[in-house]
This record gives sequence, structure tokens and C-alpha cells, in this order.
Amino acid sequence: MSAVTAMVSEDEMKAAGARPVSRDEGARLGFRLTLPAQILVLFISAFPLLMQLYISVTDWSPLSGTGWWNAWSMWNSFANYTDLAADPRFWSALKRTAIVMIVCVPVEFLLGLALATLFADDFPGKRIFYSILLMPMMVVPAVAGYMFFMLFQSGGPVNDILSALTGSPVTIAWLSDPTLALIAVMVADIWQWTPLMFLILLAGLVGVPEDQIKAATLLGANPWQRFVTIVLPKMKTIIIIALAIRVIENFKIFDTLYIMTGGGPGVATETISVYIYKLTTQDLIWGYVAAIALAILIVLSIVAVFAMKRMARAREVPA
Amino acid sequence: MSAIHLQNLVKKFGDFTALKTMDLAISDGEFMALLGPSGCGKSTTMNMIAGMEEPTGGKILFGERDMAGVPMGRRGVGFVFQNYAIFTHMTVRQNLAYGPRMRGAAKAEIDRRVGAIAEMLQLSPLLDRKADRLSVNILQRVAIGRSAIMEPAIFLLDEPLSNVDAAFRAVMRTELKQLQRQFRQTMVYVTHDQLEAMTMADRIAVMDHGVLQQVGTPLEVYNDPANVFVARFIGAPGMNLLKGRPAQSDRGLVVDLGPLGITPPLPDALAAALRGARGEVLYGFRPEQVTLVQNGQGLAMQVTFVERIGARTIVHLGHGESAVKAVFDNDVGLAIGDTAIVAPTASSVRVFDTATGLAIKAG
Repeated sequence: MSAVTAMVSEDEMKAAGARPVSRDEGARLGFRLTLPAQILVLFISAFPLLMQLYISVTDWSPLSGTGWWNAWSMWNSFANYTDLAADPRFWSALKRTAIVMIVCVPVEFLLGLALATLFADDFPGKRIFYSILLMPMMVVPAVAGYMFFMLFQSGGPVNDILSALTGSPVTIAWLSDPTLALIAVMVADIWQWTPLMFLILLAGLVGVPEDQIKAATLLGANPWQRFVTIVLPKMKTIIIIALAIRVIENFKIFDTLYIMTGGGPGVATETISVYIYKLTTQDLIWGYVAAIALAILIVLSIVAVFAMKRMARAREVPA
Repeated sequence: MSAIHLQNLVKKFGDFTALKTMDLAISDGEFMALLGPSGCGKSTTMNMIAGMEEPTGGKILFGERDMAGVPMGRRGVGFVFQNYAIFTHMTVRQNLAYGPRMRGAAKAEIDRRVGAIAEMLQLSPLLDRKADRLSVNILQRVAIGRSAIMEPAIFLLDEPLSNVDAAFRAVMRTELKQLQRQFRQTMVYVTHDQLEAMTMADRIAVMDHGVLQQVGTPLEVYNDPANVFVARFIGAPGMNLLKGRPAQSDRGLVVDLGPLGITPPLPDALAAALRGARGEVLYGFRPEQVTLVQNGQGLAMQVTFVERIGARTIVHLGHGESAVKAVFDNDVGLAIGDTAIVAPTASSVRVFDTATGLAIKAG
């Protein structure tokens, strides 16, 4: 905005008989000029949200025989939200999602950090291991899902290895047992997403000034003390970013899991995303789905806002 | 406090030899500067003393104690990094307390020592400031204090003034020298800036291409450079060196400089030392020790450039392929194209063997 007005100096404008443009007028001109772009952005971000909000207070479904814009006639006075609060399947899906997150994200973080620490130093074959390590991240989640589906069959490689280790034939039905299925799903997630954690944390780790680590060593700090007093504080911002990314992504866990178990056996691995998917494609109650989706959005927004606040605070103390 | 002995110290990085056999004795409480151009091996030497690098060969002794295999955290060495390597995510107090805290000292003890060191370095009012927004001289004091609190036997400083602007360097030099007097520690100071070495050090070890060239007090290396490298490296500008051959004249032994003519007669002691030599020599004199003389008593050369730098004037002189610089305390009224007849002060003349580059010592 100010750049627009600055292109013509005040003197030149006076000479041309124009009155000087005030700061307010400049802002108004800028607003008008960026309005088309702003409307577009608003349309992309706000419209779906408003549409969702609108549908979430109705009984509308694609089978209603009328367009979603006519959904007002199906207004159900927030019944979707009261139903949601009393839906045991929703709450158990939410709890399951939380369990997966509480297990997976810390494990991915600790594994990623350990690997990053290892890769910060040189060792023979580092490049090859580095490439191998990043591979899981590149695999299409659906393919990863199918891969783990095969691995965890009762006659699959996982049981073969266990048989070889124990010396007696093992035929665990991994994906048919409620607890084991959940574990298998978490193993797949950890396999696929630890590399991302590793990559982000490695970037943070190599950014820690080497001089300061040497200085700490010269002052008598042992490796663990150096890690806790120098490395971790310097990596604070990047750790928050890594955790925020994985918490948000993990909360939406779907593709790999759905291909492995379809949310089963029963509802044993049914997470929020799987539940929403089933409601959308099988039950076709879109008003209710919209209500769930909004509730989840609010939860994730709280996580994001919290992370951003922490980051802003960490940035006040630059490394 | 502790003396340092480097014995036949060698360092190789693969095929590259960073340091070829270095012997150096640094006495207890001495301020020794390792001076040389970049890549001369001075930092490598320092890193080996600190224990950051393992020597390829030779020994490092602190007092009587062999340092081989002693890890860097246990050598009792204080190290001040080029950029100070202050822990920016901590306060000044936490920086100072870092060493004792890592060694598991009691809280009361840490507080007492931090208080004492902060008092000494005038850091007390700044103790609770975050270390990421301090001026360089404060950073230097924190860096020194952080090491000093461990009461190291030896202080190593790696070009601590290289990031500081020229005007402030003088202030920092003075401050550093005062701190050294206060602590009475053995200090090894790596620098490529001869002014720093000359003003602060008790002795200077001049290095080049991984070889120790000369060790001596600042005035020794300035007045009596051991070889051509030291002669050219020390002094700003460095020593003038002109190719010639010793020759006998009716006024005594002189150096025949070819097209430039002959030099004024050499002092007796130098003439005696040179009497046997027949090969080519380098006739050397300091630009600061040049006077303008009458025709026939010096070297006649043309003024090619005049640099006026306030208190002093540097006159560039040339004749054929020979070039010298002369420094005068005031403007001598010479302009480009003028002919000047210059003669070095007799006592300042030094002669070097062209083949070996070594000084031919008088007497």
C-alpha cells in the first residue's frame, strides 16, 4: 500500500496540482486493489467452513432430494451436536485416536531424535543409511497400508520371524485381535513417520553452533550434560514445530490404517477419521458428519494455537 | 599456572601436513602470541594444546605432565573462541556458572565464585541479562570469565579480536592485556594481526606453512628477523629487501645492487660476518629507518606513489625492478615522479642469504 503511494513523491504530486495522499487514503486504495484477491482467499477458506457450519445444524443428506443450499428446511435445532455429545461410538473413536497419538508421536519423536543424534556425526555408510531411512516417508500411505496388511497376516513375515526367534511356530492373528490390531496400526504409523521427525530434528541438530558445544566440553560437560544444557534448548523451536506437525497429522490418521484393518476388528481400530469416513459413505448423514468435523477442527486449532504461542515465546530467545 | 612444552609436535590431516615438527617452550605466566598468515598452523597448534585435535606425532607437556590421551574437558585449559561461543540461550550468570555447575559444585559455592568473578570483570550489573544481546567487549569478558571461573592453568585465545571493528580493537587489546596481568595465567594467543601480537605478547612465535620461523620478544622479531619471511611479515609495511652481491669499495664492504648502484658501507660487525660470503644476498632495512641524503651517499630512486596517513607518510620508491617503501614522520614534500636519494640508518641494515633466506648475523 505504502509502496504504491511512494512511487510518486509528494513534491511531484504537488507540482502536478494533486493534493498529498494521506496514510488512510493509501490504506483504502490498497484495500480496494487487493480486494479481488482477498475475496478469492475468503472464498477458499471461509466458504467451506460456513457451508459446513450451515449443514451441521440440519438433517441434510445427499439423499434428501434437494440441494444443500435448501438445507434450512431441515433445520434440526442443534440435534447433531447433542447427538454427538451422547454418541458413545464418537467418544470411543476420539479416545482411540488420542491413544494412538499419545503412543505414536512420542515414540516417533524419541526415535527421530536418537537417529538425528546418530546422523549428526560421521560414520561409515552414512549416506546409504540416510537414503534407506528416508524411504518409508516416500512410500504412498495406501501402499504402506497394504504392505503392513501383508506383513501382519497370520502366515506373514512378522510371525515367520517370531517363529524363527522363538523356535516354535507362531500364528498370531494380528489384525483380528482388537489390541494387537491397534498395535500393528501404530507400528505402521511409526515406521512411516519417524523419518519425517528424524529429518526435521536433524535439521535442527546441525544448526546447533559447534563452537558452543566445544566450549561446553572444555568447561567439563559430559555428552549428556551437553545434550541437555546446550543442544535441547537450541532445538526448542524446531522440536515444537516437529511435534505440532505430527500431532495434527497423527490425529487425522486414516489411509494406512483403513487399508490394514478398515477400522476393525469391529470398531477396535476405528479412529475419528475412519468413523467420519464410514458415516459419510455408508450412513450418508452429512449434517452429523459436518458437526463432528467442526468439533475436530476446533480441537486441532487449539493445538495449533498453543504450538504457535510456544514458538513465538521461543523466538524471543534466538539461538 | 603452568608452563607448556611442545616437543617435535606434528599434525597431518590425511596427506596435508598442517604442522611440521614444532618445538616451543612457553614459560609459566607468559603471554605467548602465535602469529602467522592463515593456514600457517597456528590454530592447529592451539587446538592440539586444548585437546580438540590429537597430534600425529610429538608431545605436549603442561609442566611435567604429558597431555597425550587427556580429554579436552580435563586439561585445565580455558579457551576463548574466535566468536566467543557464548551460550546465547542463557543469562550472563548461567554462562559464568556453567563450568562449576557441570562439575556438580554446590549452589552456594557456585554463587560465591560467580559473584567473585563478576566483580573482577565488572559484570555484576549484567548478571541477569540474556547473553544474546551483549556488546563484543562484554562478550569477551563473559567468555574469559566463563573460563577463568574454572581457574585454568592455561588460557588459550583464538583470534578473539578478529570480529571487532578496528576502532574498538585498541580498547579490547588494552582490556585483554590488563586481564592477563590480573589473572597471571599462561596465555597463548593466536592471531594473524601483528599489531595485536606486538602490543600484547611477552613473546611472539612467528609461523608460516606449518613451520615455526622465529620466537622472540616483539622487538627481537621486529629488529632482528631470523629470515626473509619474518622480515617481510613483521612491520607495516614489511622490511625492504633488495637483491645484491657483497663488494669491496674504498669506504669498506658494501652491497652492489646492480642498476641501483652500491649501498652505503655496511657496519663493521655485519661486514665481518659477510666477508666470507660470495653469493647473492638480500640487503634489508626497515621503511621507518630511512633518511633522505645528499647525492652519492644513498640510493637514488623515483617516487611512484605517496600515501599520507596522518601522522606518517609512506613513500613508494622504484628503480627498474627494485621497489622499496620509506616511512617518514611528517610530509617530506615528495611528489610522484620526484627523485629521492635514500639511505637506511646504518645500524638498522640486515643482510639475508638469498639461497636459504636466513639472516646473516653480525658477530
